[in-house]
Amino acid sequence: MYEFLQYQVCDAMTADPIAISPASKLREVEELFENHDFNGVPVVDAQRRLLGVVTKFDLLKAFSFDAHALVPHYDEIMEQPAEAVMSRDPVSVAPQLPLSRLLQKMVEMRVKSLPVVENGRLVGIVAREDLLKALRRATIRHELPVHEEP
Amino acid sequence: MTTLLYTHPACLDHDTGFGHPECSARLTAILNMLRTSPFAALEWRDAPKAEIAQLTRIHPLAHVEQLLARIPRHGHYAIDGDTILSPQSGEAALRAAGAVCAAVDAVLKGEANNAFCAIRPPGHHAEPRQAMGFCLFGNVAIGAAHARAAHGLERVAIIDFDVHHGNGTQAAFEQDAGYLYISTHQAYIYPGTGRRDERGVGNIVNLPLLANSGSADLRHVWQQDIEPALREFQPQLILISAGFDAHYLDPLAELNFNEDDYRWLTEQILAVAADECEGRVVSLLEGGYNLPALAASVAAHVKALMEAPRIVQRSLVKRILERQKAKRNAASS
Repeated sequence: MYEFLQYQVCDAMTADPIAISPASKLREVEELFENHDFNGVPVVDAQRRLLGVVTKFDLLKAFSFDAHALVPHYDEIMEQPAEAVMSRDPVSVAPQLPLSRLLQKMVEMRVKSLPVVENGRLVGIVAREDLLKALRRATIRHELPVHEEP
Repeated sequence: MTTLLYTHPACLDHDTGFGHPECSARLTAILNMLRTSPFAALEWRDAPKAEIAQLTRIHPLAHVEQLLARIPRHGHYAIDGDTILSPQSGEAALRAAGAVCAAVDAVLKGEANNAFCAIRPPGHHAEPRQAMGFCLFGNVAIGAAHARAAHGLERVAIIDFDVHHGNGTQAAFEQDAGYLYISTHQAYIYPGTGRRDERGVGNIVNLPLLANSGSADLRHVWQQDIEPALREFQPQLILISAGFDAHYLDPLAELNFNEDDYRWLTEQILAVAADECEGRVVSLLEGGYNLPALAASVAAHVKALMEAPRIVQRSLVKRILERQKAKRNAASS
């Protein structure tokens, strides 16, 4: 477990992750969710500056009842741009953040993944699965053999 | 007049086992930093071993003997899951406590403005009858008790800015109004003590901070709580339990201090020390587990200690100006 304390976010994240533009259609977002095991997908501008995140909940939210229609229209909603449903100003973390601190943050915020940002640009994404993998990796070797008595 | 640096090679030989965060590389990183040219004016001194009589002011003799008897000839002995003894741990622990006593002697004899003890194992979790939390003997408590017993001081203040509450120091002094213990620490983490309502005999000031607290929160508690308590107590000596694990890169907690916060806090303490106790300050290492952050934070802290004369001067000028202003106001009213 001690080794885990030495890990930083950059040791566990997925670097250069798939991201979408604010104009991407929700249909494309749905395809990404269909084809990959993503919890959410970051939304970036042409310079890969992070603008928002679309999660599966954000996508479902687009279909919730509102004042616009008695029944939500699937095709119409799927033509909406990502920026219509994305969570803006999302919480992000720095690549140098200790992984132990990321773990605390994700547990407290109950989020499944967080974008990783350096100098304003999206450089990675880190998820619960990455943390679990890092915990396993850090503890593969047996820790200190302990004597009960000197 | 200068700043003294107490350390000893034995403190590097306390081996906590593979990957343990409280490792000798911490001290190596600090000492390498303090060997660079900005710190050339430091006066390095070898830490002596603490005498048993110095330890027993805090720890019962039977506990000291039992702890030292558990030092293994080979390998490791675990007091608890994280508090580990190796063959050299006994000497390291005696040198760590001895460093603080020697630094107290030197500063109270006027040999230096102040001192920093670059030591390990740390001490503030060690309770009078229980080693724990990487700590074997209560270094800061032993130093504070030494100041009173050997030098006749009546009031000794301890400021502990390690991210964890110093339960050991509190346990040692919570019934003795001759000591003031002030601690900033992250709430709800190890060791679970340090609530605001733990006040001892009015001499314990616990200032738990919520996760993600940073520079502004530190300044707030300084102004609201730490400085008023310190000045009211009128300490004759200030000891600092200097842990640097509240740094924003530290892996063991979630406070967000930075190097400049440690410089600022040290300067504030020195300014109070200048007013209350002729600038007498002894600081000693507790935690801090991100090596580059630890070295940089210690550098900021020790640099401020070395610049104490400037801070004392600034404080004197401020006091003179305040006195002149008060006189003018009295004359005009």
